[in-house]
Amino acid sequence: MAEHVILFAGPMGAGKTTAIESLSEIEVVRTEANNSERHIVDKATTTVALDYGEILIGAQEKVRLYGIPGQQRFDFMWTILKKRAKGMVLLVNSDAPDPIGEMTFFLEEFRELYDRGGVVVGITRSDVMPGPALAEFSDALERTNPGLLIPVFTVDPREADQMQNVLLALIANIEMRAAFGMLATTGAS
Amino acid sequence: MTIDIDQVAAKSAPPEFPVTIGWTQAAMAISSVLALNTPVHLRMDIEMHGALLIDFRHHAFSWSTPLEYFPVDAVHTHLETVPTSPDAPPYFELPGQDLDGLLWVMGLNAFGDGAAFWLSPNERYRLIRWPNLTRHSHNMSHVKMIAVLGNANASTAELAAFAGVEEPEAQRLINALSLMGILSRSSEAPAATMAPQTAAAKRQSLFGRLRKRLGR
Repeated sequence: MAEHVILFAGPMGAGKTTAIESLSEIEVVRTEANNSERHIVDKATTTVALDYGEILIGAQEKVRLYGIPGQQRFDFMWTILKKRAKGMVLLVNSDAPDPIGEMTFFLEEFRELYDRGGVVVGITRSDVMPGPALAEFSDALERTNPGLLIPVFTVDPREADQMQNVLLALIANIEMRAAFGMLATTGAS
Repeated sequence: MTIDIDQVAAKSAPPEFPVTIGWTQAAMAISSVLALNTPVHLRMDIEMHGALLIDFRHHAFSWSTPLEYFPVDAVHTHLETVPTSPDAPPYFELPGQDLDGLLWVMGLNAFGDGAAFWLSPNERYRLIRWPNLTRHSHNMSHVKMIAVLGNANASTAELAAFAGVEEPEAQRLINALSLMGILSRSSEAPAATMAPQTAAAKRQSLFGRLRKRLGR
């Protein structure tokens, strides 16, 4: 069976689990535990291993959706999963203390995945509290990674339609990057 | 202090303005204002749709007509620039609506299947940043074309060929992205080369299969 692995990364509270639930056709496998860092993000539970959902395409193909824990102490999971991934949806909540810093941090951690696949940035909770404007995220990307043209969208992870748009933009961009010889290698399936 | 939108909209239009149909003149005016980066607001009066106000400094607009109901063949009875200053109050109560949404739909429709008047033949285009697609009504051909322009310099004809769409559809997208100011233009950029795609390779496009699977 052909498989395509897409990661959902980003800081705790960005909406990764919700995004996968919006996209997945199966009940999402969640590995949550009580959040011991409520002083950082005020939510009762958080992902500690991974979340998993999938989209079947016919009988012989599926898109696997993996949500990885946001805290850096779980970065061994990042290493395991990014090797298998084709691309990544990086979600950053606009109301985080330093959303632009979070975005650039995760992008640096997963730069290898960008080089051989693709990344889309989704800014969540921008409707909840005013944060940096979308252009500020794009400008920060251009400053820290000159020449990279990474799609940046505002997104509500609860909205399946918006998450599908994000996923399709990611796949379209990966395929065009491959078609124009922009990928470093083509290791992932 | 902000200007009351009802007060602004209630101002009567000068009689000498020639009534126009469609968005060509509005797009030309907006393109000029954005290019000049001069402190002005823009006001349009549209038959049956009221006053459309644009505050360029805050990249916002105010209009009672939702963009889902954008009137492609709108009858404009008035269009004027309103001089302002960098420290003047906003044209209307902020936040208003994001101007990009209006420019997207206006750009797609302002010139029919033809090129925007500020574009020149023999140019190639490249994306400067992706439009915020989750906020703009779009189709999957748009996504594919934008992905092309994010990774290659392409003329309108080349864009259509790379993305497998008709040239007028590519032209409309070029017009919209250009009006939004997120497209670079060059008459010297070399032609891009796409890896040869066999029919089998095209069938193997995950984008195509996933799009179909999701009913998009």
